[in-house]
Amino acid sequence: MIKKYKPQITLFHCINAFDNCASLPVSTGGAFELKPVKMACSSMVKDVFLLRAFEAGADAVAVFVCPEGQCRYVEGNIRAKKRVNFVKNLLDEIGLSGRRLSLHNVECGDTENAVRILQQVLSDINDMGPSPAK
Amino acid sequence: MIVGKQKSIAEIREIVLPYKKLLVLGCGTCVKTCFAGGEDEVATLSSALRLSFKKDGRSIYIEELTVERQCEDEFIREAAVAISKNTAVLSLACGAGVQAIARRFANVPVLPGVNTTFIGVLEKQGLFTEECLGCGDCQLAVFGGVCPVSRCAKKLQNGPCGGSRNGKCEINPDTDCAWQQIITRLTALGQLDNLRKYNPPKDWRTSHAGGPRKLVREDHVI
Ligand code: SF4
Ligand code: SF4
Repeated sequence: MIKKYKPQITLFHCINAFDNCASLPVSTGGAFELKPVKMACSSMVKDVFLLRAFEAGADAVAVFVCPEGQCRYVEGNIRAKKRVNFVKNLLDEIGLSGRRLSLHNVECGDTENAVRILQQVLSDINDMGPSPAK
Repeated sequence: MIVGKQKSIAEIREIVLPYKKLLVLGCGTCVKTCFAGGEDEVATLSSALRLSFKKDGRSIYIEELTVERQCEDEFIREAAVAISKNTAVLSLACGAGVQAIARRFANVPVLPGVNTTFIGVLEKQGLFTEECLGCGDCQLAVFGGVCPVSRCAKKLQNGPCGGSRNGKCEINPDTDCAWQQIITRLTALGQLDNLRKYNPPKDWRTSHAGGPRKLVREDHVI
């Protein structure tokens, strides 16, 4: 039996930007799978973690960080942004498309914005199709 | 330290294409410091290669390992078991490390994953600059601790040339004129007279121009 395709998003988030993403009320036309990964600070998102998420079957990876100037550890979100940009270039080089990885500045507890971003990520996956490295 | 830059994924892919079982071997010293070949880079590159091959419907088995230094036999030995289980080694060390591995393991292809670039320093986080060409006859005492061999584009021993402008070199406005720096530093040290003394033409035989070099320390040879 062919397994039905269900888009998968891995979401790395700083617990200071968002405490719990598992219960975000994202409503879409179809089913999708959200894999949240909590981090004590967004600067902990190493290049290899982002890539391994794709190896584990993600169609897209999103990273939620605090707004610039509001990182509890001063520059964690800036470091995260630089790493995300580095890995986006790698994904382009591999031919997986850097568009599958995105970073978003989210105010602490701004559920509405978080939901809107995830819906946009899902719609981008629909445009691009499943990850070719699944 | 030796400064290097990882090759592009496309070039590495091409080099490793014939092999099904690959050991990606990092070096935990110089190339780790310049983010080209330490543990983190081994992990990132291996993951990127797996994704790249999977995307094209190919499979590759990749083992990851980093030793403290690839240019010393004592540390290389730690990689022996992993090397024996794979059909090729992609070394992320400098060219010396790659060759040291190849010398010890004669029957395994050892491939370079890094372009070895220069001997330099970490000037600030993320910025590495070339400081020495290994000329074999160091004259930094004369030049106030600024090397005209590696840092002057023309390797002038009696600079500056006419292309020095506002402290910058004519080859690139981002490049400091080494001779401006030599003069500024000697002035600050009160040693500008160093430049009045006769400084003989450089004898390049001690540099790589004299062919591959060897250093023997008899007191350490048993
Ligand atoms: S192999 Fe090269 S990079 Fe590694 S420690 Fe030796 S000189 Fe440095
Ligand atoms: S004079 Fe020679 S050994 Fe000394 S720093 Fe310059 S290139 Fe290196």
